[in-house]
Amino acid sequence: MTMSSTSLATGLRRALSGAGAAGPGRPPLQTRNTRPSRGAATMLALVAPSVVLLVLINAYPLVVAASQSLHKGSLIITGQFTGLENYTDVLTRPAFWKAAWFTVVFTLVGVFGSWLVGLGLALLLRTKIPAGGFFKVVLMLPWVVPIVVSSTAWNWLVATPDSPVPRLARSLGLGDLLFLADPTLAAITVCVFKIWVSFPFMMLMTSAALASVDHNVYEAADMDGATKWQTFTRITLPMIRRSTYISWILMTIFCVNDFPTIYLLTGGGPVNATSSLVVLAYRTVFQDFQTGPGVAIAFLMTLALVVISTVLYRQIRKGETA
Amino acid sequence: MTNLEGARLSAHPERGTRGRWGRFAAILAFTAIALIPIYVTLFLSVRPGTFSTATSFLTFENFTNIFANTGVLTWLGNSLGVTMATVLISVAVAAPAGYVLSRARSKAVSAYSLLLFIVQSLPIITAIVPLFVLFAKLGLADNLIGIVIVYVGSTMSVATWMMAAYFDSIPRALEEASWMDGCSVFGSFLRIVLRNSLPGILSTAIFAFLLAWNDYLVALVFLKSSEVFTLPVGLQSFFQQNATDWGPVMAVSVVMLLPPALVFAVLNKYFSVGGIGGSLAGR
Amino acid sequence: MNRRAFLGIAAAAASAPALAACTVSGSSNSSGGASDPIKFWDQPWGSPAYNDLAKKVTDGYQPPAGTGKASYQVIPWNNFYQTYASAIASGTGPAVSTGGGFQPFQFAAQGAIAYADDLLETWKKDGFYDDFLPGLLDANKTDNGYAGVPWQLDARILWVNQKLLEKAGVEAPTDFDSLLAAGRALKKIGVFGFGTGTGAGNNLGSHTMVAMMIMNGGGLFDPDGKPDCVTDRNIESMDFIRQLAREGIIDPACISYTTDNLNAQWSSGKVATGFHTAGLQSQAAAVKDDLVVNSPLAGPHGDKAALHFVNSVMMYAKTPSQQASEAFLTYYLKNIHQYWDAALINGVPVLKSITASDAFTKNPAQVKIVKEYTPISTTYAARGAKLTAGLAAVDGGQALTQFAQTMLQGKTDSKAALTTLQSGIEEAVK
Repeated sequence: MTMSSTSLATGLRRALSGAGAAGPGRPPLQTRNTRPSRGAATMLALVAPSVVLLVLINAYPLVVAASQSLHKGSLIITGQFTGLENYTDVLTRPAFWKAAWFTVVFTLVGVFGSWLVGLGLALLLRTKIPAGGFFKVVLMLPWVVPIVVSSTAWNWLVATPDSPVPRLARSLGLGDLLFLADPTLAAITVCVFKIWVSFPFMMLMTSAALASVDHNVYEAADMDGATKWQTFTRITLPMIRRSTYISWILMTIFCVNDFPTIYLLTGGGPVNATSSLVVLAYRTVFQDFQTGPGVAIAFLMTLALVVISTVLYRQIRKGETA
Repeated sequence: MTNLEGARLSAHPERGTRGRWGRFAAILAFTAIALIPIYVTLFLSVRPGTFSTATSFLTFENFTNIFANTGVLTWLGNSLGVTMATVLISVAVAAPAGYVLSRARSKAVSAYSLLLFIVQSLPIITAIVPLFVLFAKLGLADNLIGIVIVYVGSTMSVATWMMAAYFDSIPRALEEASWMDGCSVFGSFLRIVLRNSLPGILSTAIFAFLLAWNDYLVALVFLKSSEVFTLPVGLQSFFQQNATDWGPVMAVSVVMLLPPALVFAVLNKYFSVGGIGGSLAGR
Repeated sequence: MNRRAFLGIAAAAASAPALAACTVSGSSNSSGGASDPIKFWDQPWGSPAYNDLAKKVTDGYQPPAGTGKASYQVIPWNNFYQTYASAIASGTGPAVSTGGGFQPFQFAAQGAIAYADDLLETWKKDGFYDDFLPGLLDANKTDNGYAGVPWQLDARILWVNQKLLEKAGVEAPTDFDSLLAAGRALKKIGVFGFGTGTGAGNNLGSHTMVAMMIMNGGGLFDPDGKPDCVTDRNIESMDFIRQLAREGIIDPACISYTTDNLNAQWSSGKVATGFHTAGLQSQAAAVKDDLVVNSPLAGPHGDKAALHFVNSVMMYAKTPSQQASEAFLTYYLKNIHQYWDAALINGVPVLKSITASDAFTKNPAQVKIVKEYTPISTTYAARGAKLTAGLAAVDGGQALTQFAQTMLQGKTDSKAALTTLQSGIEEAVK
C-alpha cells in the first residue's frame, strides 16, 4: 500500500481540522449527540466539580475585586462607593500607559521568544541524540526552579559591576553594561529572564504535540521528496497548529499576569521602566495603599486579556471546521 | 519496510551519525549556557553563608545546619503532602471536565470553555486577600486542606484545557465503538479515553505539581503557623529586614529543586508515547 | 493492572500518609473567651536566633488570673502588610504585634487598633514611663490617642570604612563639602564614596534622600504636616546628590541594588561611605572591624539632624481581653533587654535601662549612635509635623522610590524632581 500525494493531502487536511491520525476526535459540527439523554446527565456530573472549584477560587475573587475597584476603601474597609472614578483616575495616569506598553512588549517577546526556543529544542530532542533523555529532564529546570531562587541566581550574575556577566561584557569590549540599572537594558534583561523561565513549558507542550503526529505522514513526505524545510513548514507546523495556538494563549496569560518574575528581579524599576500592569497594580495596592485604583488597574488588564483570549480562541475554533 | 528505511537514509544522509553528533553539540552548548543560574544556586549552597564563620571555600555546613536547626523536614513533608493531593485532585476533576469540553457540543459548553479563560485572567495578587477572608470564615485559613483547595482551583482552567486538547486527538470512533458494545459514557471515558491519555494526564499532573510546589504568594498569606509551612514559606524565614542569610536559603533551594527534578526524571519516558493508531489498526 | 492504575495507586498511597502525618491545621480555633491565648505576631528583626529568643520571652509570660497565655508567631517580611490586613479583615488577627514603622497609624485609621493611652497612664504611675528615651513615646500620638508603644529605633547612620579612608588619604567627613572631597579621593582608588541602593525591596536609597534633606533643615512636610518638598534647602541637598552622581562618586549600578547587593559592595570594599542601618557591621561582616559610625554631618547652614524610624508594638481592637493585651505588652517591653543582652538585634533601643546596660555599652558603634544620632534624630515628620497613616504610603510608595532613583541617575533637575515628588506625596496622603 503506497501513500500517494492525495492521501498525504487528505491526512494533512484531517490534521488541520483537528483530527488525530486515525480520524477526527472532535465530533463534526453537523452531528448531534448520539445519545442525548444518557450523555447529558453524565456530562453534567463530569463537569460539576470543576465548575464548583472555578466559581469558588476564580469567580468569587473576581466579583470581590470588581467591587473593590468601584469603591475607595482599603483591604479591610469597603469604603465609599465611587463608581467609575477609579477607572478614570487610573486611565489618566501616564504610568498606566507606560506599564501597558511594557506589558505588550514583555508579552510578545516572552511568548514568541520562549516558543521559538522551545520549538527548536523539541525538534532537536525528537531526533536520536546521545543522552537525549538526560537533556529532556535537565532542560526543564529553569521552569522547575522556584522563582525566588532563580531571580537570586540571576541577580548574582548581573547586578553589580563585579558580577560575572558584566565582567564578561567588559572583557569582550562591550563597556560597562548596567543590566538592571539602565532602563533599556533592564527591560531586555527582564524579557530574557522570562524567556529563560518559560521555554521549558513551550518545549513540553510542543514535544507532546509533535509526539501525537503520525509518522506515516512524514514517511509519505519523504517519499515525495520533500526537503526538511518543506516538511517542517508545510507539514509539521500545521499539524501541531492547535496545540501551538493554545500554548500561545496560555503563555500570553502567564506573561501578562506574571508578577514575581519582574518584581523579584527589578522591583518594577528603574523608575518604572520594567513595571508591567500587574506590577503597577501590586505597587499601587500594597505600596501606595490605594486599593481602589490598584484593583482597577488589575481589572483593566484582566479585561484586555479576556478580549484578546476570546479573539484568539475564536480564531482557533474557526480554523477547525473541516 | 527495509526499502523505506534504506530510501530514507540515502535521501537524507545527515540523519546518520554525523548529524547526530552535530545536534548533540548544539544541545550541549545550549544546555550548558542555559543552566548557568542552576550552577550558581548549587555553587552558592556550598559556599559559607552571609553570617557563617567557616573559613574554607566550600562547605556542607549549610545543609547540616538546615536539617539540624530549622524546620526544613516539616516544610518538606508539608510541601509533598499538599502537592501530591493537589495533583491527584486536579487530574481527577479536570479530566472529566476536559472530556466534556472535548466531546460535548452545545452553547453551554462553548460558554464554559470561554469562561475558563476569563476567570483565569485575574492576577492572583488581587485574589489573595478576598480568598483569605472567605477561607478564614470557613475555618480553612492557616490550614493545609484550605490551601490544597486554592491550588486545585487555580489549576482548573489550564488543566481542563490541557486535558481537552489531548482528548481532542483521540478519535471518537473508539468510544462510539464501545457505546455500541453497551458501555456507558462514563465507562468508556474511563476505559478507552483515559487509558490512552497517559501523556496528557502526565502533562497536567506536572503542571499541577509545579504550581502547588512553587507557589509562595498564596502560601505566605494563608499559612501562618510554622507547623504548616510549606517549603516556599519556610524559605522566607531566612530573609531578614535588611540582609539575607544566603547559606540556608540556597541549601533549602536545593532541597526544593530535587523532588520536581526527580519527578521529571522518572516520568520523562512517558512523553514519547505518541499516536494511538495502533488501537484502530488492531480492530 | 495497567501502568496508569499502578501509578495512581502508588501516588495515592504516598500522599495519604504524607498528608496524615502533617499537621493539617495550624492555629487552633479560639473559643472566644477572655482566657484565650494572646496572639503575639513578630517579624524577623534579626537572624532566626532572634525569633527563637523572642518565642522564649513570649512563652515566659505569666498571665494574671483569668487571662490566657501568649502565643508567638513569626510573620515573614515578604508581603507582610497583606498578611496583617487579611488577618484583621477576617477577624483572625493578633492581639499584639510588632510591624512596620507606620503600621500603627495605618490600622488606627481603619479602626483596628486599641489605643495605648490607659497603658501609658499606668506606666506614668509606676515609673516605667520614665525609662523611655525622651520624646519617643509621643512619636505615636494621633488625634485619637497613642497608636502604639516604641520598642526599637531603626536609625539611618552614616558609616565609613576607616581603612579605605586612610588608604585614600582623607579624614572622616564632617559636612557636605568634606564628604564631596572624600568622595573624590576615594574615586581615585576605585572606591565609591556614597553607597546606597534603590533596587527591589531596598528603601535605603529613599531614606538616604530624605535624610539628606532633613540634615539641611528641610524635609518632606511643613510644620503643619502638609507636603512641602520644593524648598530651597531641599533643592540644595538634592543638587549635592546630583553632583555626587555626576562625578561618579555614586555607583551608577546602585539604582538596582537590593540590600544584599549593597551589603556585598560594602563587604568587598567597593563602598567606603554611605547611609545604612545600625546593623551594618553584622550585615557586611567581612569588613566589620573597619567600619566606624561617622559623627552626624553638619548641613551647609550648620543644621544637625538625622533620620530614624520608630518601630512600635501595637495592640489591636480585637483581643480576648484588653487587660490581658496590656499586661502582656508591659511584660514584653520589660523583657526586650534580653535581645540586646544577647546581641541578637541591630535596632537602637528606646529604653534608658538598656542603653546603660553592660552588654550595650560594650558595643562602641551602638553607644555612639545613641549618644550622637538619637538625640538629633527625627522621623519623616521633621519640622514638627505629626505622623499619620498616609506616611506608610509615602515611605513604601512609588513616588519616593522613583524620586530616589531619578536623583541617583543624576540627569534630572532637582526642582523638577522635587515637584514631581510633591504631587506624588500629595496623592498618597490624600
